[in-house]
Amino acid sequence: MKIRNLSILLVLVFVIAGAALAGEVPAPPAIGSTIEEFTLPDVDGAQRSLKSLAGKNGTVLIFIAVQCPVSNAYNERMEKLAEDYKAKGIAVIGINANVAEDAAAVKAHAAEHKLSFPILKDPGNKIADKLGASVTPEAYFLDANNKLLYHGRIDNSRNPAQVETSDLRNALDAALGDKPIEKTEAKAFGCTIKRA
Amino acid sequence: MRNSKALILIVACVLLAAMAAPAQKRKYGRAAKTAAPPVVSPIDTNGLQGLITKQREHPLLVNFWATFCDPCREEFPDLVKIDKDYRPQSLDFVTVSLDDVTDINTGVPKFLSAMKATMPAYLLDANDPEPAIKLMDPRWSGALPATFLFNEKGEVVFKHIGRVDAAELRGAIEKLVKKGDGQ
Repeated sequence: MKIRNLSILLVLVFVIAGAALAGEVPAPPAIGSTIEEFTLPDVDGAQRSLKSLAGKNGTVLIFIAVQCPVSNAYNERMEKLAEDYKAKGIAVIGINANVAEDAAAVKAHAAEHKLSFPILKDPGNKIADKLGASVTPEAYFLDANNKLLYHGRIDNSRNPAQVETSDLRNALDAALGDKPIEKTEAKAFGCTIKRA
Repeated sequence: MRNSKALILIVACVLLAAMAAPAQKRKYGRAAKTAAPPVVSPIDTNGLQGLITKQREHPLLVNFWATFCDPCREEFPDLVKIDKDYRPQSLDFVTVSLDDVTDINTGVPKFLSAMKATMPAYLLDANDPEPAIKLMDPRWSGALPATFLFNEKGEVVFKHIGRVDAAELRGAIEKLVKKGDGQ
C-alpha cells in the first residue's frame, strides 16, 4: 500500500514538474466556483479591490492588451459592453497582465481608444494565473457573489461584421433574466499573455 | 615575349569570365526564387479536418501561429530549420495561420518570405475559430503557438502549446521519420 502511495506521489510530482517546465498556464477555475477577492493597482498606481469595482449584479473581468491586434479589434465592443451593462448593474473591469506593457502604456492606450471602464495592471500575472487566463481578450463573468458563471471569448469573431454569436452578452442577459446560461464556456482566441 | 604576355592576358580573361558566369547565374537564380512570395491558402474547419485525418504515408507536423503572436514569431526560425532537415526524411509539415483573413496576401506571406519558409502554408478561414480549435484538441484553449505531430496512422504523438522546445520536437520527429527516405 505504501509503495502504491509512493508511486502515485511520484507520478503527481512528475506531472506537476512537467507542467511547470512546459510553462503551461494554470487551469482556469471551474464554472460555479467562487473567485477570491483580490486587489490590483490601476493605471495610476492606486490599489483597487474587486469588491470596490464590482457591479451589484455582477462583474465582467476582461484580460486585455495594448499591442495585441485581436484585443484591439474588440476595443469598441468592450466599451459598448461596459456602457450597455453599467445601467443593468454589471461592471466591466479590464486587466492587463502583459509584462511588457507598463501602467503608463495601458493608460495612454485607454485614453487613445476611449476605454472608460477601469483597467488594472496585474504585475507578476498573479490574477491571470489564478484565473488561468492565457490570451487577450479573455473574459470572466462573476455574479454578485463572485461565483464564476461564464469564461471565454467575447464573441465568435474579431471582425465585428462577422459576429454571429455574442457569447458573453448572452451569458449576461441570461443571468440578468434569471435564466440558465446555455453556454458557460467558449474558447477565447487572441494573443498569448506575455507572463513575467 | 609580347605574344606570351598577350596569351596570359587572354587566358586570364577567359578564366575570369568562366568564374563570373555561374556566379551571375546563381545570383539571378536566387533573385528569381525569392521574388515569388509564398502562397498562403485559405483552409476552413472541414479542410483542416481532411488534412489531419486523411490517410498518409508520412508523419505530419502542424503548427498554428499568427503574425501578432510573439512566441510564434520567435519559434519560427527553428521550425524552418526542422522543415529543411526532416522534409527529405519524409516529414510533411504545414503551417496554419490564425491571422485575420485580410492578411492572407499581405502580412502572412511577408513574414513567411522573411523567414524563408517553404512549407505549405494555410490560413484558417473561419468566422468562428472554436470548432477548429476543438477539432485539434478539446483541451486546447486556442492559445498560440500550438504544435501537433501526427504519425502515419493519424494519431497525435506530440503536442505543445506555447513556444516549442526545438530539441524536444526534433526528438519526437526522430522517432517517426525514416532515415534516408526521400533523399
